[in-house]
Amino acid sequence: MSSQQNCIICSIIAGNIPSKKVYEDDLILGVIDMNGANPGHCFVMPKNHYAILEQVPDNEVAKLFQASNKISRAIFESIGAQGTNIFLANGIPAGQTVAHVTVNVIPRKENDGVNLQWAPKQLSEEEISTVELKLKEQAKNVAIDKPKEKKEIRQEKPLELSKEEEDIYEKQLRKIP
Amino acid sequence: MADENEQMKALQEKIKNMSPEELKEFQKQQCIFCQIIAGKVQSKRIYEDENVLAVLDINPANPGHILLLTKEHYSIMPQIPDDVIGHVFIAAKSLSNSMLRTLEAQGTNIIVANGIAAGQRAQHFIAHIIPRKDKDGIEFSIPQVQQSQAEIEEIGNKIISSLTGKVETKSGEKIKMDFDEISKILGVK
Repeated sequence: MSSQQNCIICSIIAGNIPSKKVYEDDLILGVIDMNGANPGHCFVMPKNHYAILEQVPDNEVAKLFQASNKISRAIFESIGAQGTNIFLANGIPAGQTVAHVTVNVIPRKENDGVNLQWAPKQLSEEEISTVELKLKEQAKNVAIDKPKEKKEIRQEKPLELSKEEEDIYEKQLRKIP
Repeated sequence: MADENEQMKALQEKIKNMSPEELKEFQKQQCIFCQIIAGKVQSKRIYEDENVLAVLDINPANPGHILLLTKEHYSIMPQIPDDVIGHVFIAAKSLSNSMLRTLEAQGTNIIVANGIAAGQRAQHFIAHIIPRKDKDGIEFSIPQVQQSQAEIEEIGNKIISSLTGKVETKSGEKIKMDFDEISKILGVK
């Protein structure tokens, strides 16, 4: 199991930093956020160290979000939340603050100060068709491994970063206090 | 106005008396996203397989903002079975990957809202995948509030009980929650 020195999340997973665990399996850990937006705010992470989502293998992505959904369901059932958000920030411009993939499961109530809204941007027809074509072309590479059909399994390779690139990511991510 | 209330009441009564199959069919007819999936409403399709459809958001947070939909009608994520959840988010990862590779995105957000209080506006499960750049004008904020140790312990135990099934959740409670959800959404529209 790969873990990284200096990674606060890896230290939580290793038990070197105490936490209130709510969910654990061989690959995933879910704990309560000590500084959560609302009581019961959890974060869920792969036990293996990955800086960004694109590095996480498909089977671990599936498990990560299955666990997040279970926790979200439990939040509805046990603490009477009026809603939940599943939120992932991937990269610094997206708001990622630790260099370890983390899914936030946030219990919601009216006027709780959480803001995950946006003002829609007006785009020209041309801008829309440009992104449409680019994304469509790239999305042709999306291939999802289906366990039932063993034939023709083609799994898109996780984004492999060279040691150098990885260091750059790590450094960038650590800049944030 | 009184007429509308009468109609709403009649509608709610009708919904209450529907079998689960009838309800599902009814939801499907009412749902704009089911119509998009069926091709009755136009959309810019980016990716499609047997479980999911990804289309461009017509009110995007940023250019390339994708709505990832389950083909099956689910109004909220807790209703979705595990195998479909796995599929949806593997697709989300791949699409996020596509954004990093082709849109010069420097990051991505994946967001799901369950319930109106969480910002849900549609009556169909949606995973938003938003390409991000520095200073793109999007300002999400998740306040940090120091939780007391006692509260963390208590709430953690409640969640654990619910996850392990050790606490009785009144049977039918979930279905009741969905009804509220559906009628609330119908009330909004």
